[in-house]
Amino acid sequence: MNYLLWFLLFFSLPLTVWAEPTAELDRVLSALERSAAGIETLASDFTQEKHLEIFRETLVSTGRFYFAKPDKLRWETTAPVTSGFLLNGSGGKRWHQRAGAPVPFDLGREPGMKLIAEQLLAWARVDLDWLRSHYAMTLVEEHPVALRLMPRQEGARDFLDHLLIRFDTEGRHVASVEVHEAGGDRTLIHFSATLLNQPLDPSLF
Amino acid sequence: MLGAFFSALYRFWAPRRFLLFALTLLLLGGGLAGLSQLQVREDIEALLPDDLSQVAADFRRLREAPFARKILIHLRDSDPAALPDAADRLAAALGPPYFTRVMTGPASLDTARLPQWLAENLANLLDGDDLDRLAAALTPERIDILVETAYRQLLSPEGWVMKGMVRRDPLDLRVYGLEKLRYVNPIGQARIDGGYFHSADGRGALIVADSPVSLTDSQGAERLLAAFDEARTVLPPGVTATLVSGHRHTLANATAIKGDLARVLSLSFLAVLAIYLFFLRSWQGVFVFLVPSAILLVASGVIALAYDQVFAVTLGFGGVLLGIADEYAMHIYFACRGSGRERAELVGEVAGPVTGGALATLASFAVMLVSSLPGQRQLAIYAMTGIVAALLLSLVVLPHLVRPAPAGGALRLPLFSGGQRRPRKTIVALWLALLAVSALFVGDLRFDGELRAMSLIPEELRQAEHDLRQAFGDPRGQAMAVVEDADSEVALARNREVFRLLRARLPEVAIVSLAPLLPPAADQRRNAENWRAFWTGKEGRRILADLEAAGARLGFSAQAFAPFHAGLTELPPPVTPDSLRQAGLGPLVDALMVKSGMLTLVPDSAEARELFAGENPARPAGVHFVSPTGFGTEVGAAIQRDFSRYLLLSLLLVLALVVVIFRDRRRILLALVPVVTGLLAMFGIMGALDIPFNLFNIVATVLVIGLCVDYGIFMVGNGTGAGAAGVDLSVLVSGLTTLAGFGVLVLARHPALHSIGVTVLLGIGAAIPAALWVIPALRGERE
Repeated sequence: MNYLLWFLLFFSLPLTVWAEPTAELDRVLSALERSAAGIETLASDFTQEKHLEIFRETLVSTGRFYFAKPDKLRWETTAPVTSGFLLNGSGGKRWHQRAGAPVPFDLGREPGMKLIAEQLLAWARVDLDWLRSHYAMTLVEEHPVALRLMPRQEGARDFLDHLLIRFDTEGRHVASVEVHEAGGDRTLIHFSATLLNQPLDPSLF
Repeated sequence: MLGAFFSALYRFWAPRRFLLFALTLLLLGGGLAGLSQLQVREDIEALLPDDLSQVAADFRRLREAPFARKILIHLRDSDPAALPDAADRLAAALGPPYFTRVMTGPASLDTARLPQWLAENLANLLDGDDLDRLAAALTPERIDILVETAYRQLLSPEGWVMKGMVRRDPLDLRVYGLEKLRYVNPIGQARIDGGYFHSADGRGALIVADSPVSLTDSQGAERLLAAFDEARTVLPPGVTATLVSGHRHTLANATAIKGDLARVLSLSFLAVLAIYLFFLRSWQGVFVFLVPSAILLVASGVIALAYDQVFAVTLGFGGVLLGIADEYAMHIYFACRGSGRERAELVGEVAGPVTGGALATLASFAVMLVSSLPGQRQLAIYAMTGIVAALLLSLVVLPHLVRPAPAGGALRLPLFSGGQRRPRKTIVALWLALLAVSALFVGDLRFDGELRAMSLIPEELRQAEHDLRQAFGDPRGQAMAVVEDADSEVALARNREVFRLLRARLPEVAIVSLAPLLPPAADQRRNAENWRAFWTGKEGRRILADLEAAGARLGFSAQAFAPFHAGLTELPPPVTPDSLRQAGLGPLVDALMVKSGMLTLVPDSAEARELFAGENPARPAGVHFVSPTGFGTEVGAAIQRDFSRYLLLSLLLVLALVVVIFRDRRRILLALVPVVTGLLAMFGIMGALDIPFNLFNIVATVLVIGLCVDYGIFMVGNGTGAGAAGVDLSVLVSGLTTLAGFGVLVLARHPALHSIGVTVLLGIGAAIPAALWVIPALRGERE
C-alpha cells in the first residue's frame, strides 16, 4: 500500500509543479488585463540600445512613442537621426531627415512592416490574447511583472529567440522590452515619462 | 428493275408476314440493346478538326492556356477593407468535389522566400544591360544613401526583420531581380494587396479555382453552380460574388436548348399530330408515325456498335435529321391507301421514286464523310444508316401493314389532286417573280462564321464577364506565343526571343513570360561570368570600396556585409524550373510550361496578331501564335470552307443522281425545280431581311437540299401515273410535318436551333408549293 502511495506521489509531483506556474501566470495575466483595460492613449519617451554584431559599437537612439486605441501608433526617433513612422489602421507613413515629405505605405504590401506593427500594437494595447497566440509565455517576475515570450511560429524563430517584457509597477503599460535575436544580437527599449489617457493631437497620426 | 425487285420482295414476304414482323422487331430490339451500350461524349472535340490542320493544333494549344479551364470568382464591395475576409470565407467554403486549388492571391507571395531567392540568384539572372544600369546607378552618393537607409532601418523596429537582408544585399540589388517579377503576373490588371488579388479601384477581389468538372458537362456544371450558390451564403452582407467560367456558358446553352425543346417540341408534336389526323385519317397512319422512332433505334444501335463513344451532337442533331424520314413511309402509305390495285404492283411503281429520293438524301449526307470534323463524319454515318433503314422499313415492311382505304375514304384536296384545273400561267409567273426577287437579294446575304454566334450568352453572364474584364483585364482571353522544341535549351532560347520581340515592339503591353526568370542555361552561364567579371573589375571594385567607406562612416563593422561579399564570388547553381518551384513560383511554372511547350501570354490585340503573322520577317522561328479571337475566326472559316464544299458537292451529286434517274433534260430540270426554288428563296429572303447565314444554317441547308430533291423526284417520277394524287398528298404531308417539326424551331431562343428553324422554314416553305404547283404547271404547259 505504501509503495502505491509513493508511486502516486512520485508521478503526481511533476503535474503539480507544472500546474502551479501556469495558474500563477494566468492570474498575473488576468490582473494585467484588468489594470490595462482602461488605457485609451499612451505617450512615452523611449531609449533604445542595439547590441548588434554588424556595428562596431552599441547604437543608442532616443525618441517618442504614441499610441491611441485601437490601431493608431507613432514611432519617432529623434536622435541620432530624425526618422520614424506612423500607423493608422492598415496604412501609414514613413519619414526621415534626408527625404522630403513623408512617404505613405500600405501594410498589405509590406509583410515585414505588418509583422512589426502587430507586435507594437499588441504591446501597447496589452493584448494578451494576441501575445498568447503568438508566444509561449513564462512568468519571470511578479512585482513588477516581467514576462518571457518565446515565438511559437517557426518563421519568427529564425530571427527572434525570445522577448523579455517588463510592465510598470501598476501593470498598466509596458516599461521595457528586450528583444533577443537568434544569433545573439539584442535590443533593449526603455520607456519613460509615460503619460496615460492624455488627449493626443490628432495630427500625430 | 428496282420496281420489279421490290414487287418480288413483297410477294416473297406476303405469305410470311409474321416472320417479317418478327425479324423487324428483332432488328429494333437489337437497336435498343445497342442503344443501352451507348457511351456519350459531350465535349467540343466533335466540332473541331482531328486532322493535322492548324486549327486542330491551335485548339490543342488553347486548351492548355492557363486560364482556359479556371473558374474566376469576382467579389465586390464598396468597402475594400471587407474584401480579404470575404475572400477567405468564400475560399474556405469552396472545396471538393467541385472546386480545387482555390487561390485568393498569388501563391508565390505567401512567403518571404521570393525576395531572398531573387537576391541569391542575381548572378544568373542579370544580363550585361542590367549590369550596365547597375553600375551607372550605384554612384558614391547613391551608395551613401543606401547604406544610410540600411542604418536607419536597423535603428527602427523594422530592423529586427530587415537585418539579414541588409547584410545580404546592402545595395538593394534585389530591385533588379524584382523587375523580372513584373512579367509573371498572369492577371495583368490585378493589384496584389496583402497577398490578395484586388482590382485597381480596390473595390473588387478575385478568387481563382480549378474544377474537375468538365467544361462541357452540363449536369456537372449545374451541380457546380449550385455548390457555388450554397458557398456564397457565407459572405458578409453587402459583398457580392459572381462566378465566371466555361461552365456557365455550358449550362446556359443546355438550359436554353432544353427549354426550347420542351416548348417547341410540344408545339411541334401537336402540329404533327393534327396534320396526321387531318390527312391520314386512319389508325394505320400510326405505322407511318412510328417509322422515324424505329429508325432512331436502328441508327443509334449501329452507331453504338461502330464507335466506342458517340458524340452528343451526333445523337442530338442526327435525331433531329432523322425526323424527316417519314416521307418515304408517307409515300408508300398514300399509294397503298389510295388504290385497290395489287399491292406488289403498287410497291414496284413507287419503289423507283422513293429509292431515288432516298439516294439523293444519302448523297447529301455522304459528302460529310470526308469532313475533318469527327462529329460530322459520325453524323453522316448515323443519318445514312437511318435513311437506309427508313427506306427498307417503308418499302419492305410498311406495305404489309397498310390496307386500301374504303371507297371514298381517300382524301382528295381540290388544289392538289391531279385533274383539277389550276391557273398555270399565273403560277409560273408568280414563281418566276419569286425567283427574280430572291436572286436580287442573294448578293446581300452575309456569312457569320463566328463560333460565338452559335451559342447563347445570357445578358447576366455577358455583364459578369464585362465587369470581370473591367476590374482585372481579360486573363481568359489572352493570346499565347507557344514555343515547342524537344530540346529544352532551344525552347528556352526561343522563349527569350519571343519576350525580347514583344518588349521591343509592344513595350506598353502586359506580358506574362518566364523568360526573365528562366533564361537558357548558356545565357545563365554567360550572365554568371559577366557578374564575376563585373565585381572583380574596375567598376565592381569601386562600388565595393564605396560601400565599405560608407559603412565605416556609420559605424558598421568590417564583417557587416560579409554575406553580400560571399554572394558575389560564390556563384549560385543555375536556375531551373525546379528551383523556381522551390522559390514559390510553382503555379506559374506549371501554367507557362505545358505539354505543348512554353507559353508567353499577351493581350489578344490586332498588333500582337500582326507581330506573329506568318509574313512578318521579325517573327522568331519555331513560334506558334494562338489567339482566341483569331482561333474563333479560323475555326469559323475552316468550317465555312468545309460546308461550302459540301453544299457544292451535294448539289453536284444530287444533280448527277437526278440525271441518272431521269435521263431526260426536261424531266431533270423539272425535278430540280423544288431544290432551286427552296435554296434561292431561302438565300434571297435571308439576304433581304439581313439574317446572317451561320454554320447551323449550312448544316440545315444540306437537309433542305436532300428533302427538296426528294419532292422533285417524287413529283416527276410518279406525278402522272396512277398514284399522282397520292404523290401530291405525300409531298404535301411530309412537307408540312417537316415544317411543323423543324420550321417551328424558328421560335427557339437558342441561336443554333433558331437558325435551323429559319433555314427549314424558308427552304421547305418555298419548295413545297414549287413541287406541288410549279412542276405540274410547267409540265402541263409543255405537254
